[in-house]
Amino acid sequence: MIAAAERVGRLPRLSGSSWTGIVALVAILAVIPLFYSNDYIITVMITGGIVLVLNTSWNFVLGIAGVWNFGQLAIFALGGYGAGLLMLHTGLPGWVCVILGGVFAAGISILLAFPTLRLYGIYTSLLTFSFAAVVQFIIVNDGSGLTGGSFGLDTVDGLYPGLGAKAQIHAYYWTVLGVIVVATFAVARIRSSRLGIALQTVRDAPGFAAARGVNPLRYRVIAFAISGFIAGIAGALYVSFNQSITPSVMGLTPMSIDVTMLVIGGLGTIAGPALGTTLLTIVQTSLVGYPGIQLTILGTILLLIVVFVPGGLVGLIVRIKGRISRWVSEGEGGGGGQEPLEPRTHAVTFDMPDEQPPEATTPNA
Amino acid sequence: MSSSDLVAIVVTTIVFGSIYGLVSIGMTLIYGTLRILDMSQGSMVMVGGFVGWGILTVATWNPVVALLAAFAVTFVLGVFTELISVQPLMSRRGEIDFEMVTFITTFAVAIVLANLALQIFGPFQKNVPPIIHGGISIQGVHLDYHSMLMAVTSILLMIGLGLFLSRTRWGFAIRAVAQDLDAARLMGVPVGKLYPLTMGLASALAGVGGVFLGALYFASPTAGDLPLLTALIVVIFGGLGSLKGTLYAAYIIGFIQALAIVLVGTTWSLPILYGVILLVLVFRPYGLFGNPSEARL
Repeated sequence: MIAAAERVGRLPRLSGSSWTGIVALVAILAVIPLFYSNDYIITVMITGGIVLVLNTSWNFVLGIAGVWNFGQLAIFALGGYGAGLLMLHTGLPGWVCVILGGVFAAGISILLAFPTLRLYGIYTSLLTFSFAAVVQFIIVNDGSGLTGGSFGLDTVDGLYPGLGAKAQIHAYYWTVLGVIVVATFAVARIRSSRLGIALQTVRDAPGFAAARGVNPLRYRVIAFAISGFIAGIAGALYVSFNQSITPSVMGLTPMSIDVTMLVIGGLGTIAGPALGTTLLTIVQTSLVGYPGIQLTILGTILLLIVVFVPGGLVGLIVRIKGRISRWVSEGEGGGGGQEPLEPRTHAVTFDMPDEQPPEATTPNA
Repeated sequence: MSSSDLVAIVVTTIVFGSIYGLVSIGMTLIYGTLRILDMSQGSMVMVGGFVGWGILTVATWNPVVALLAAFAVTFVLGVFTELISVQPLMSRRGEIDFEMVTFITTFAVAIVLANLALQIFGPFQKNVPPIIHGGISIQGVHLDYHSMLMAVTSILLMIGLGLFLSRTRWGFAIRAVAQDLDAARLMGVPVGKLYPLTMGLASALAGVGGVFLGALYFASPTAGDLPLLTALIVVIFGGLGSLKGTLYAAYIIGFIQALAIVLVGTTWSLPILYGVILLVLVFRPYGLFGNPSEARL
């Protein structure tokens, strides 16, 4: 329980001004393509956005539920292949294929959850990692022509076949932005719901959770299902936007990049994936000509962040905020008091969700 | 199944099992002592391959020099890895998920090493010559001396490690730390020196394995990925932290792969292996010789 209480990285409960800030940020992001017509940058942002959706799903199972799932890229790819095959071989509208891709990925993810139910920590990581390796191997060596092997899927129409090139990019931009907002808020809502509190209790104190009647096995399956669905949607968006998908979206290199993004942002936090993905997408894009240097820098950053900045950037921001507000409230002393100190409420509440007793969560609820 | 198939299976089992044992025993040693899953072990195999290439192909020196140099270089790298990715975290051991955090830091070291190699040597595969040329034929099965030497060296090194652990003062210290960290500290075991030593030693074994593997495959920046995967499978199959379990697991996995190669071909050997491991983990989550209480949820 000490570990649970000390785990940093919770954002404060959102105040009115934070809400304004978030709405403003989303609005600014939404109008960018109208004023800024550099298609390359917009494309990079769309790709980064799809990775962010994937990272949000991974953060849910890895950071919030604390299950060492390293098969998430395979789930992502399977969602993409599922949606892509539906687009190729059925006449269903694009958005139906995307949602079915998510459902398919969620189904696979649930199937993957069952063998891991008896495992913990490192053992789970090996099993899920093996699963990803097998999926990649099967697709690479697929001779039936269904998936196209290592060359990738045949060209699919995507979500917006009727639009021109420019309009398509804009449409995808807004679609991905919308999915990011929905996915992030869904994860944030779930995290502070009974389900989320149960998941975090299972993560931090499995014995305590079981003693309070929280069934770890059931909640693990639910966590896999939710994160699998979001990852599948991300994969379906990927295949729509790129009009194809290859097995190279899986493997060690993309995995190391995604893990780095999660850890730098702050694993288990809501804003972490967004911060980490944005930052590393910028780093990657500016070093795009030097693949070796790019990953060397990435690995070094990863090491430094883990060693010196526990909790990632979000944890760092929370600590700095707490220190400033403490300093401010000390400076104000007992004098005045006419102004309600807004930072002080932050300092008091930022790790409140940890203190909430999980007594409301019973298996029969 | 013909008799040549049988010979092929036996020979492949011994060769594969020995090299798997050599590459993964270090990982077990590290997990048993430090309680971390060292993801940089694959990179040590890769570095060993490049040292072998540098000394055998570029400098054309004696193979013994290559093996010793690989041992020395990867030993230093292993010590260095411990100092930058594990030592700074030791003081926070109680507050953090130590296994998870060190998993990520050693993984970061692996990323950096692989990409430094890419930067220095380029993406192309380098040919590493075998330590000794030639071979013999048993029942129509070709067996080269290089693979035989690899198996023998691996077995000798593993015996050497066993003697080191059971006969020397430092070996006692490593085992003491593996059994009970606090008790070992109270008895005056210099844990601060022991951890780098353990990781250096484990990395050096993987590095020597890398010289041999370099001749079987190639030396390339990604040469460490497959050995890392295999080592992960072996150590978890055998039960994390159990040296005996790792040895058995190495040969069992060598046998499964040999069987798959002979019966259905090389392409499917890896997926079959993964399938078997999946099944084993479902029914025996803590591996062959692992501690049952550790693996359960």
